[in-house]
Amino acid sequence: MADPKKARAAFAPWDRRELPGAFNVEETARRVGNYKWVEMRLFEALGGWVATVPELDVKMRLGTHCYKHAWHADLWNKRLPELREMNTDRLTEPPNEHMVAFMDAVTEPEGPDQTIEKLVGVYRVLIPHKIAAYTYHLNNTSTITDAPTIRSLKLILNDEFEDWRDGEMIIQSLLETDEEVERAAAHAAKLEKLMLKAGGVAGPGSIGMGTAAKPEEVPA
Amino acid sequence: MKKIFPADQLARDERFVRLDTAERFNDPRTIRGSGSAGRMGRQLSPESPGAPDAARSLMHGIFVGEIQALEGAGRTCWDFDIGKGSDEVPFELKLDMARQCWDEARHCEISVKLSDWMGTELGEFAESVFLYEAACNPDPVLRLTGVNRALEGLAIDVFNTMREFGTKAGDPVLEFCEDWMLADEVTHVKMGSDWLRRLTANDPGRRERALEFQRVVDKLFSLGGARGEDEESPIKLARRFRELAGFTTEEVDEISDLSRDARAEAMARTGGGD
Repeated sequence: MADPKKARAAFAPWDRRELPGAFNVEETARRVGNYKWVEMRLFEALGGWVATVPELDVKMRLGTHCYKHAWHADLWNKRLPELREMNTDRLTEPPNEHMVAFMDAVTEPEGPDQTIEKLVGVYRVLIPHKIAAYTYHLNNTSTITDAPTIRSLKLILNDEFEDWRDGEMIIQSLLETDEEVERAAAHAAKLEKLMLKAGGVAGPGSIGMGTAAKPEEVPA
Repeated sequence: MKKIFPADQLARDERFVRLDTAERFNDPRTIRGSGSAGRMGRQLSPESPGAPDAARSLMHGIFVGEIQALEGAGRTCWDFDIGKGSDEVPFELKLDMARQCWDEARHCEISVKLSDWMGTELGEFAESVFLYEAACNPDPVLRLTGVNRALEGLAIDVFNTMREFGTKAGDPVLEFCEDWMLADEVTHVKMGSDWLRRLTANDPGRRERALEFQRVVDKLFSLGGARGEDEESPIKLARRFRELAGFTTEEVDEISDLSRDARAEAMARTGGGD
């Protein structure tokens, strides 16, 4: 073993974490509040839909996924006070009214013959946008100062990828005719247009593009 | 998507056959306590000639009950906004209901596998939607008390009975699965007990209404007295697990008395025997 008194670098050669990050505390809290809002709307809808879908396997998957998104909402809820937002309800909000319109449209299908629309909205539109926003956040935040958010993002992204794959495979198994393929595509297109107006799950700038003011960059 | 989804619209595939609650309660087999609670009207025992069919029927009843419990917990996530009003719920209550959704989804999966293991086809027995009907109460406290304390409490008794049946019948798969589901049910009943106390801490009137609703549900689903502490009770009241789940000794005593009364009433209606 090396001499325990010998000075060692604080950061090992393999540890490439850096201080700079794209988001300050306020911007991080704003995004986390948006994430919590969308995770809540999603888990509530998944739970509500369970009774409305006749397909047994879909029913059980929705029940499982409902909890995962509730857990994500809880993670974000617990992160907010750590970002100086003690009243967590204050920042639990959509980024803009277009995001509200998007989620209203996602949760609108109710009939037992609308399983395709329900799943397309979640697994072909919403979850891919969540993965995009979470990935952008993960790749741009400070790897030292914002480590707690990074840990949550990694845990959540793991769920999102698994759920996206589950949902996509179920959708593929449900699409049996050209008409159903067109239904799925039309519904996805309708929702994508609404999401375009919203600018992403955290509004414009969700993935670094768009019209949002560029968050301040902390110099190295 | 609307709030409060009616029981008659619960979505099912073509295998499922619906039996409405009135039909179920007017069925003489239910009155005798010899329906899914045990075809013999007495304890589920591997030595009884009807035991395999009774166990399969009970297992199928558990399966459809799990589907409805999943649907009910899911609707509680959707039906109520977050807030402090009488028709609103705390954020944490919704999280508990989402957790219950996951648990009930696993119970459905377990029940499908177990039904297959026991040689039962899905839809082989009729489904009544009484559990879900209790989950339609517009007051969240009454809903949780009726579902999580009365019906999930019944589930504790049923799972414990099935677990013991698995042990006696030398069926380790049944015993293993029921033991796991029993652990979850204790958690769900405890959720109901905890939320009842928290949400009615300053509202004794609402607490009493909730407990009265629980009594109604408990009496309605006492299965003609099939659930009780008597030696011949087909479904044993699982006193220890209920206490773990937040029931007081007095509350368990009350359910035991209620079951004994229900059994006496059922026997009087059917001329005193099974």
